[in-house]
Amino acid sequence: MKPFRKLAVNRYTPYYLPVLVVAVWQLLGQYGYISTRTLPTPLQVAEAGISLAKSGEIFQYIYDSAKRAFIGLAIGGGIGFVLGVVNGLFPIANRYLDSSLQMIRNVPHLALIPLVILWFGIDETAKIFLVALGVFFPIYMNTVHGIRSIDPGLIEMAKVYELKGFAFYREVILPGALSSVLVGLRYALGFMWLTLIVAETISANSGIGYMAMNAREFMRLDIVVFAIILYAILGKLSDSAAKLMERRLLRWNPNYTKS
Amino acid sequence: MSTHRLGARLHIQSAMKRFGEQDVLRGIDLTIPAGQFVAIVGRSGCGKSTLLRLIAGLEPPSGGELTLDGETIGGHHADTRMLFQDARLLPWRKAVDNVQVGLRTRSRERALDALSQVGLADKANEWPGVLSGGQRQRVALARALAGQPRLLLLDEPLGALDALTRIEMQQLIERLWQEQGFTAVLVTHDVSEAVALADRVILIENGRISLDVNITLDRPRERDGGFVHFEKLILDRILERDSSEAPRGKKLSYSI
Repeated sequence: MKPFRKLAVNRYTPYYLPVLVVAVWQLLGQYGYISTRTLPTPLQVAEAGISLAKSGEIFQYIYDSAKRAFIGLAIGGGIGFVLGVVNGLFPIANRYLDSSLQMIRNVPHLALIPLVILWFGIDETAKIFLVALGVFFPIYMNTVHGIRSIDPGLIEMAKVYELKGFAFYREVILPGALSSVLVGLRYALGFMWLTLIVAETISANSGIGYMAMNAREFMRLDIVVFAIILYAILGKLSDSAAKLMERRLLRWNPNYTKS
Repeated sequence: MSTHRLGARLHIQSAMKRFGEQDVLRGIDLTIPAGQFVAIVGRSGCGKSTLLRLIAGLEPPSGGELTLDGETIGGHHADTRMLFQDARLLPWRKAVDNVQVGLRTRSRERALDALSQVGLADKANEWPGVLSGGQRQRVALARALAGQPRLLLLDEPLGALDALTRIEMQQLIERLWQEQGFTAVLVTHDVSEAVALADRVILIENGRISLDVNITLDRPRERDGGFVHFEKLILDRILERDSSEAPRGKKLSYSI
């Protein structure tokens, strides 16, 4: 019983299912149950990846995509955070701004693509604009929520101990809102890659989306699938980075010290 | 050195507080000399916590005047510190950093001193989340006293603690009060706590002071006959038991 249990519950258990899926996929492809013109086998995809890595093209594409993604995140996330702090702290600002922002939020931002192409053309600005719009709302909403949910007792305590101005923000407001802001960041990272993929697929002259669309023209399905896997890996990596930040910044909270 | 160790003198003249249509305090007159330990008791909702919040300057009075050493209290006063029922520590700061919040100089050594005064020097680098309720309240006490306040306000600070921790905390508060000589105002619903700690117990009923007794017992207080006498005197007044009627309890009817 014991060795079986050890096999069933260890640190590699999350990887059992993906490995199984890939193995079945390889076997089905290899024995002709799936035509390689529909879906290349994992080995073919890996070969495509290796040859792209050898030529060095892939690193340039990843760099271009990541650069767009993070510039968009910095702009949209920064504006979302600042507006969230302002609207969370000052009810008057919230009255003026919030309902307008909620209206914009309910427009799917990818529906703006035709407009964005007309405004900015098809170069970098358009993609960064879309990414910024996509990450703005999760960060804005969660910042407002985080500030609203700070214990009023702590705010009164700050009054008794004369914490004012910048010290008040640094000691009470920002750390109090931080766990919500980080949840917002994790959502935003998801939206960031999603928006970027769509934007790059529609029009680009560099980046992973460009690579995939280019490969489609030549029926290089292995490269197309490789691009999809690359997006999955990048998404997972940024989520893990956000989780690591959570663990580091919220280590005072017993709920985050484990798991 | 000795000037800031003296307590503040508090004078309250016909203080009133109204929330909407409701009169919570209907004219309180009270003078507390420097260094006195006063306990305010009363049923819940009698306005005792509101009075404390007026003294703290957290809320303005609707009428009347409150002065601290002859100076009108308007907004929070730098010499006043308050201990709340919940410790209200910043959960994202370690114990010693929380105490530093109470110091204008933010001096780490002074904060560590204050922590060792409440017997928690070894917990200086713990997060508040891992401390027990009593330890958290002691950190809050260290934070309140680190700045050497002249008036300490205590809003049922021991209400949420278990019986043994409460007695320890009472002794700690009494000792620090004797050492530092600040004026103390304690709001509590526990009459025996009031008698154990205070020089003077004040009962508030319907927004007015209805009883003002000096507890003329020696310190440290023993739970002897004198103690029970004062406890019974105050409790009887709160429960409006007439001592002549009390034994004939059969006639009382309770409605819940």
